[in-house]
Amino acid sequence: MATRDDLIQVRDLKKHYHGDKIRALDGVSVDIQFGDVMVVIGPSGSGKSTFLRSLNLLEEPTGGSILFEGIDITKKKYKDESGRTVKLNIDELRQKMGMVFQHFNLFPHMTILENMTLAPIKVKKMSKAQAEEKALALLDRVGLKERANDYPIQLSGGQKQRVAIVRALAMEPDVMLFDEPTSALDPEMVGEVLDVMKGLAKEGMTMVVVTHEMGFAREVGNRVLFMADGLLVEQGSPEDIFEHPRSPRLREFLSKVL
Amino acid sequence: MDQLFKLSNFSKIAPYAQLFRQGLLVTVLLSLFTVVIGFCLALILALMRMSNFRPLRFLGIDKDGHQREGGALLAISKFNPLDFLATAYVEILRSTPVIVQIFIIYFGVFSMIELPNFQLFGFIKFNRFFPGVVALGMNSGAYLCEIIRAGIQSIDGGQTEAARSLGLSQTQNLRHIILPQALKNILPAIANEFVVIIKESAITYTIGVQDIMSAVNAVKGATFVIIEPLLVATAIYFCLCFPTSKLIAYFERRMSHGDKR
Repeated sequence: MATRDDLIQVRDLKKHYHGDKIRALDGVSVDIQFGDVMVVIGPSGSGKSTFLRSLNLLEEPTGGSILFEGIDITKKKYKDESGRTVKLNIDELRQKMGMVFQHFNLFPHMTILENMTLAPIKVKKMSKAQAEEKALALLDRVGLKERANDYPIQLSGGQKQRVAIVRALAMEPDVMLFDEPTSALDPEMVGEVLDVMKGLAKEGMTMVVVTHEMGFAREVGNRVLFMADGLLVEQGSPEDIFEHPRSPRLREFLSKVL
Repeated sequence: MDQLFKLSNFSKIAPYAQLFRQGLLVTVLLSLFTVVIGFCLALILALMRMSNFRPLRFLGIDKDGHQREGGALLAISKFNPLDFLATAYVEILRSTPVIVQIFIIYFGVFSMIELPNFQLFGFIKFNRFFPGVVALGMNSGAYLCEIIRAGIQSIDGGQTEAARSLGLSQTQNLRHIILPQALKNILPAIANEFVVIIKESAITYTIGVQDIMSAVNAVKGATFVIIEPLLVATAIYFCLCFPTSKLIAYFERRMSHGDKR
């Protein structure tokens, strides 16, 4: 059973396509604890995005289990504390997991403020005033309060990604998932987004970050996973991974990216 | 050599101007009702075509509770009866002539259903007008369905992923994220369909709807003048359709302007 500190337990997670021909994930097991900043690195096609997207079921795994706060979310039904069988409510679950995408995915037909208040109002049933107050406070934190009434198209890439991060935070998630949050940004904008993420990490937010930013992995991550070919090849502290890589696959990867 | 038309013939048909005015009103009303009915029907059809209703879904899950990776059972589990029905409807309606559909609706369906025999505005026969609207609406619904479906599918999948990962349900995603963006994209296509409907509505004179074409026939019968009433009808249809499509083009330009910084 999950201990108090375990937020997510992934066991033997598999995602196969076309029979068994394509194995995007081929048996990944990992524990994510409260306060972890887990950074997932690896070559493209290694399955790291699939792994991350499986955590909130944007990808449906074909095998294994994911225990999130003690509930196996890969099953359609589970037993609650009193032993009754309950249908898994995927929407309720996803509120607790904030997700930030490579391409921001802001809603272009809504202002920044509307982007941020939509889910709190519609899903959490917050009042409009309350949601707006909270959204403005969050925007202020990332220095974008004065852009609240602009549309996403009027913002730069870095600004959009900062909005995307606080939009997810507005739902007060237990964990934040980042899917290559800086990969679509111009180089000079990467820093501003990473700074926001560092701030979050310092506050103790649990984070899972798929990234190519090795500097961020080393500096901010407390655990680093190295994936290749759908497998978790090596995991450890940033020092373990970057200074004392054991597997030849990881050494080869690091020699290319560092 | 004979002339195409004689000016004197226009003065012969001038006393029947009222028929053309009434015909114009009928054509406009017919088109408006058709586009509304067609749009509602199309929205339902499009949602059916994109629904995820799979009553045999359980066949695709193995005994451990996981999704099967292949095989016949997986294929059967993906069968969606709503999608099947909507697709069949659209394909049949798009592959048969409108006039056949109108005759089937009027002589078939509405020979079984008795319609009240009254007149709108004192001259529009409801029991002719209504079947015309239904038939045209059903037809344009099939075409609009494909327009709406294309519009919804043109929205980047990332939008749905973002909405769902914020905890919005499928319905909330559709209502607040997908449809507003899709409708904006397909507005020009819908408006074009409106122009098509105005022109296509001419065919309803065959079941006795008193539109512009039926005014042409009435005048023809009364005066034995053929070309001149047709020229009047041509002018009226042109004056309806040309400004409409120009208006659409204007809104199209304005909307694309809004997408720029």
